[in-house]
Amino acid sequence: MNVSINWLKEYIDFDLSPETLADRLLMLGVETESIKQLGEGLDGVVVGRINAVRNHPNANKLVLCDVDVGKSADVQIVCGAPNAREGLVAPVALVGAKLATSLKIEAAKIRAEESHGMLCSETELGIGEDTSGLMELSDDSPIGAPLAAALGLDDAVLELEITPNRPDCLSMIGIAREIGAETGNPVKLPSVHVKEGTANVQELTSVSIDAPELCPRYAARVIRGVTVAPSPKWLQRKLESIGVGAVNNVVDITNFVLMECGHPLHAFDYHKLAENRIVVRRAAPHETLTTIDKTERNLTSDMLVIADAEKPVALAGVMGGFDSEISDQTVDVLLESAHFHPPSIRKTSKALGMHTEASHRFERDADPEGVISAINRAAQLIAELAGGEIARGIVDVYPGRQTPVQVKLRPERVNFVLGTEISSDKMTEILTRLGFNVSSTFEVTVPTFRPDVSREIDLIEEIARVYGYDRIPTTMPTGDIPTAPSTAISELRERVRDYLVASEMMEAINYSFYDAQSLDRIRLETSDRARDALEIRNPLSEDMSIMRTTLIPSLLENAQRNRNYRVENIQLFEISRVFVPSGDSELPNEPERVSGVIAGNVGAGVHGDPYRAADFFDTKGIVEGLLNVCGISDYAIATTRHPVLHPGRNAAVSVNGESLGIFGEVHPEVLESYDLGYKAYLFELDFEVLAGAADLTRRVEPISIYPSVNRDLAIVVDAELPASSPVELIRSSGGALVKSVRLFDLYIGDQVPDGKKSLAYAIEYSSSTETLTDEQVDRVHEKIVKRLGAELGGELRS
Amino acid sequence: MQEELKKIEAEALSELQAVANSADLEELRIKYFGRKGRLSTVMRGMGKLSAAERPVIGKLANEVRGNLTTAFEEVGEKLARQERENQLAMEAIDITLPGRRPQLGVKHPITQTLERIQQIFRGMGFHVADGPEIEHEYYNFDALNTPADHPARDLQDTLYITDEVLLRTHTSPVQVRFMEKHAPPVRIIVPGKAYRHDYDVSHTPTFHQVEGLLVDYHVTFSELKGVLHSFARQMFGDQTDMRFRPHFFPFTEPSAEVDISCTVCSGSGCRTCSGSGWLEILGAGAVDPNVFEYANYNPDEVTGFAFGMGVERIASIRYGIPDIRALYENDLRFLRQF
Ligand SMILES: [Zn+2]
Repeated sequence: MNVSINWLKEYIDFDLSPETLADRLLMLGVETESIKQLGEGLDGVVVGRINAVRNHPNANKLVLCDVDVGKSADVQIVCGAPNAREGLVAPVALVGAKLATSLKIEAAKIRAEESHGMLCSETELGIGEDTSGLMELSDDSPIGAPLAAALGLDDAVLELEITPNRPDCLSMIGIAREIGAETGNPVKLPSVHVKEGTANVQELTSVSIDAPELCPRYAARVIRGVTVAPSPKWLQRKLESIGVGAVNNVVDITNFVLMECGHPLHAFDYHKLAENRIVVRRAAPHETLTTIDKTERNLTSDMLVIADAEKPVALAGVMGGFDSEISDQTVDVLLESAHFHPPSIRKTSKALGMHTEASHRFERDADPEGVISAINRAAQLIAELAGGEIARGIVDVYPGRQTPVQVKLRPERVNFVLGTEISSDKMTEILTRLGFNVSSTFEVTVPTFRPDVSREIDLIEEIARVYGYDRIPTTMPTGDIPTAPSTAISELRERVRDYLVASEMMEAINYSFYDAQSLDRIRLETSDRARDALEIRNPLSEDMSIMRTTLIPSLLENAQRNRNYRVENIQLFEISRVFVPSGDSELPNEPERVSGVIAGNVGAGVHGDPYRAADFFDTKGIVEGLLNVCGISDYAIATTRHPVLHPGRNAAVSVNGESLGIFGEVHPEVLESYDLGYKAYLFELDFEVLAGAADLTRRVEPISIYPSVNRDLAIVVDAELPASSPVELIRSSGGALVKSVRLFDLYIGDQVPDGKKSLAYAIEYSSSTETLTDEQVDRVHEKIVKRLGAELGGELRS
Repeated sequence: MQEELKKIEAEALSELQAVANSADLEELRIKYFGRKGRLSTVMRGMGKLSAAERPVIGKLANEVRGNLTTAFEEVGEKLARQERENQLAMEAIDITLPGRRPQLGVKHPITQTLERIQQIFRGMGFHVADGPEIEHEYYNFDALNTPADHPARDLQDTLYITDEVLLRTHTSPVQVRFMEKHAPPVRIIVPGKAYRHDYDVSHTPTFHQVEGLLVDYHVTFSELKGVLHSFARQMFGDQTDMRFRPHFFPFTEPSAEVDISCTVCSGSGCRTCSGSGWLEILGAGAVDPNVFEYANYNPDEVTGFAFGMGVERIASIRYGIPDIRALYENDLRFLRQF
């Protein structure tokens, strides 16, 4: 909604700069998007009148003009415009003016003749397109007056953002009322005098409403004998100042009234209406209408149309029809002022993709009681500006009359809700200024232009915003703090996140959707349950069209992006919900996943701690550590067949027989599809399963007061032997004395025979009851060595 | 003999002056004190002395021995000190070589911001609640007093799964879900993801919100101001000013948009705040009675307030991020700055 300050001042007195007005409106709930100053570059440009034109003695194409610029004597100006003539009223840029084109006017001699200023064309002033000659002003323009004032360009236009609850603010008068509520100045409504002729409107037309549920009120007037022509300049400029293009006088008047009071009107060419009458009805199936924008519209029966005796002539509340629009040939006009059911207008305009000034207001609920004043205002202006005679009376069909809303206001409730001490007098004053009627017992009658107010709380809001939010005190809540619900899940999530961050992993957050190809790129089989992803019906793009069922594609894309920027050490994780369609309820399940990707190098990459290529055991370590942090020690790791993973370097982890997730090396084909130039490793765990098995409680075991004894042991075994076998055997042979076993070296190479590997373990022995002697340790250690040899074929390596 | 001793003493002391390192000192010590050393040799000759000479020479010999021992010790200590110093000087390293920092990961800036927000509200007695991200139209709109075919639905550009199921456009649906299951008083915040059909420098189609809801038997608008003021000062600093402007949200009445004084220019006007001196950070208001009715609360008995803030918006103010889409690129060069 654009608002011209000068126009606004016709309805209310105020003396505020555009910026201050914008601030005041902002604090009333009306935001200003922009302020446009009109008439910039017109300083020093005045209205002048050419009193005499003489030939230039030294130039054929130039003339000397004596120009009255409102001073005691005329000034001489040299001019080359073809329309320079005696009596012409035209803009004059005086000496010292600086024009919008950044031309600076100075006193000059042109071909030896003095020139004190410049007679200007529209383009030279930057206010129009006409380059043919001097801008011609009307003869009655005040000579010597600033041009900006004469043209109404000493004005600023505020572009306002009106919230959808305030249809009344979509008009000059509505905004004036807001200003009045704040300043206390009265709103000056235009005085309307309709000079009716003798013909009775009832004999000229009729209105029948066949769908009263969609059209609570329809009023019509007829004006006969108009002359359709361009509007007078003042009206054109007014509309143009707020961005409404001029069409012709009749249409411009309906637009003017729309902007003035917020009520959309429509004017029909009376003789284009079959039987000259109006039928308000639902569209018939397969009916069509060509609207003013020359587009043929296919109508459906839930759309309301304005029809004549035969066919639709307008899309009710949205746009008029092309065939019945006002044209240069129009002589008689039927003027419509109506009220339509807001949801119906909204549905129709959405269905047809049409959003108009009219539909914008009707879908927000225009004032049903504003119908008559709007039609009278327009009829008056048409008779004044386009001539013609207004038929006597109004056809006013009003099946949906509503009684005005009455709301009981409890002043103490206002202060109870706001935490204020506003006097009831002040409340009455505020509401009265806004157009409410407040009785002595605080029965408040809501004006019909305020469809947003129907309850006491709505009145409280009105009082609060006009009183000023900044005047409401700032206090802290005094009520009881409710008992806290369980925080176990969020505590675990925080613990997991803290752990991953401490493990050199960076946290990623991705959009919750990706493209359907993502699931191909990670090689999911067609039968994979993760293929069953929810589709967004109106996605932003194909890239964002299905809801994630796994976080893996997002993380691989992140790795790809970083790889493209030559980041060589990628360790990323994400904790997020995924979306799994559920068979039995309407809403999907939203299990949470914790997933990660490690690619490229790990380590600090500094002297003494160089980068090392990441491998399977980095991701395995992250997963094992995570389980440990969650207090899960009883888990099983086994090979799996997940297609995103390398067939020989993968694992599934489960707890209590329930699958927790997978980890391993990313399959080379997946690496290729993400164009990752190095190997990548990933994990994805189901946070729900993790939470189910997690135990964050800790019971401390007493630590031994006796020192432990450390022994190393290296054995050569078959390369195929799983590294876990010797550990299990060491533990079972050593019993309680073995506190820990750590594989500190794995060797395959020249130093051991082909098909063999060397495993080196550090074993920590200790007892909680005594200091172990060397003999005690030797005995156990030798037993272990013996069993490793006998049962696993392990040869002791020296 | 006497002369001999004096001579040995003088010579030893003079030689001692020239000793440069502890190896030479040891050599010298052996030369004088060794089994075949000069002092020992003289001492062994003592047996040939007369009984009268013996005590005199003996005393002198002990004196010389004592003097020399002390002198050797002094030189030895001095040399040891010097050599330690030399040694340490040689061990000096280039301290400009880089330290080996622990390779800590970093929580995402959205997470860090969310954690801070939660911490502040926990301190004011709020508990964390959550709800589904894919929601019924009912909870996302209808129960929040936003009927179908009302222009208020245009305020949020919604992503749909079906006619009735959508990606929640805010975390506000949890308001009604929570009230349906819990009796008042309620004091919750709802951090979580929300979705809209939006994509530009200040909007991402997935974003994070923190919704707040406080319901009790007597909650006032002034308390909403108090809670949010306290939040803003803790989040953005003690000097932060706050401004409440009337606005429209379907599910609050009265409603407000809330600005803080610009964190860049402190209110004098700059590019970040488009010259206004203010930055909009959240929307808020008193809970609309209709919402209470949807939640089966009696609006005559309880009042409350709700607020909702965009976490990306707050993170962008906090960290000076000009284009919030950067938060979703997961570029490690970006993330490592936090
Ligand atoms: Zn600023």
